[in-house]
Amino acid sequence: MSLVELKDVVKRYGQNTVLNGVSLAVEKGEIIAIIGRSGSGKSTMLRCVNGLEPIQGGTVAFDGTVVNDPKTDLRALRQHVGIVFQSFNLFPHLSVGKNITLAPKVVKGVPQGEARKLAEAVLRKVGLGEKIDAYPDQLSGGQQQRVAIARSLAMSPQLMLFDEITSALDPELVGDVLKVLEEVAREGMTMMLVTHEIGFARKVAHRVVFMHEGKIWEQGPAAATLGRPATPELETFLSAVLH
Amino acid sequence: MIRELSFNDLLYLIAAMRWTLALTGIAFLGGSLVGLSVALLRVAPFAPARWLGTFYVHAVQGTPLLAWLFVFFFGLSIVGVTVSPWVAAAAAYSIYAGAFLGEIWRGCLQAIPKTQWEAGASLGLSFMEQLRYIIAPQGFRLAIPPTVGFLVQLIKNTSLAAVIGFIELTREGQLTTATTFRPFTVYLIVAALYFALCFPLTQLSSRLERRLHVAR
Repeated sequence: MSLVELKDVVKRYGQNTVLNGVSLAVEKGEIIAIIGRSGSGKSTMLRCVNGLEPIQGGTVAFDGTVVNDPKTDLRALRQHVGIVFQSFNLFPHLSVGKNITLAPKVVKGVPQGEARKLAEAVLRKVGLGEKIDAYPDQLSGGQQQRVAIARSLAMSPQLMLFDEITSALDPELVGDVLKVLEEVAREGMTMMLVTHEIGFARKVAHRVVFMHEGKIWEQGPAAATLGRPATPELETFLSAVLH
Repeated sequence: MIRELSFNDLLYLIAAMRWTLALTGIAFLGGSLVGLSVALLRVAPFAPARWLGTFYVHAVQGTPLLAWLFVFFFGLSIVGVTVSPWVAAAAAYSIYAGAFLGEIWRGCLQAIPKTQWEAGASLGLSFMEQLRYIIAPQGFRLAIPPTVGFLVQLIKNTSLAAVIGFIELTREGQLTTATTFRPFTVYLIVAALYFALCFPLTQLSSRLERRLHVAR
């Protein structure tokens, strides 16, 4: 059984169909890069996986649990599915340490001392061990994004979703964040990442999924798919992003 | 019979402030409880709850406070229920303040970006946990100035309770005027006493706001 399974997923905003029959299976340990123009539905698809977007048709399943079933306990599900957003979404009123320990303490009931140690450990992993008592607005964008990754890691998810996490960063800060991503990938985390970093996708992803007009237009092993696009749409897209 | 305005009159006016303060306290306490419920209803992820909250706010904001005081004090006694002026005032002011505070606080909660809710939800927090740990603490800082602003209004609006028998600051001023016939001086004193209540509050508000800003 695949860890994530999307079947004929349809998502509409009013008259506007954003996902038009998307089917995708992600195996445990797999790293999937999702690319495509803005508006092609890639972020929406990602947000369907942890139930942030209700869908109008098809099914989304995680580890055998149907995410779009109204009876599904999304709270329980989300403890296993981490997501990192383009705009970081750190909690500005909490220190870095408290940003990280909030969910383990509240959702999992981890005691304060242990939660703090957990925060120290995940912060070291993203190279920000000394920032535990800083506040988000004292950090650069790249640092904030690494804290957001650490916050997600602290819940020890089985799957991590990354929604264009380097798109809001200054170019010189992108590298540090990608390095952290690579580190997480090396540890065997199952990852789905929406990205515009084609080079990074080629290097880290096992599989590339190209989305176009709300559909999965083309997919396959990263190097082959990016090296020899089968459809003119992917070719056009690649030549546009790689100039 | 007209007599001279004396120092004792000033003491009486100051003493009457205790009713103004007590009424304000009750109104704010009751109003906070109602207001909190209204704000929660208005942001609830359940449409009928939001409708109920909206209906309440529109109904109360569209009716005069005086009418509520009359309903509870005179209205209930017509149907055979005798209520003390305190109970009537507490009920009427809670209903009134609850609608306004609820609306103020709803605005503060909704001013927090939706992405903050999403970040909380994605970490597995429930609606109430998101509200408690993420949204409310951020909304609290925003809420201080308008809440204090409303509290100042409330202090001044307690004078309406005179119609059901409370001799609070304004009513005491009227009575003093009636016996001394020195309206200008008396109401100047009354105004100064209201100012003495309200000014420290607005000062406190800006201090709190500054302090919470530094500490985030």
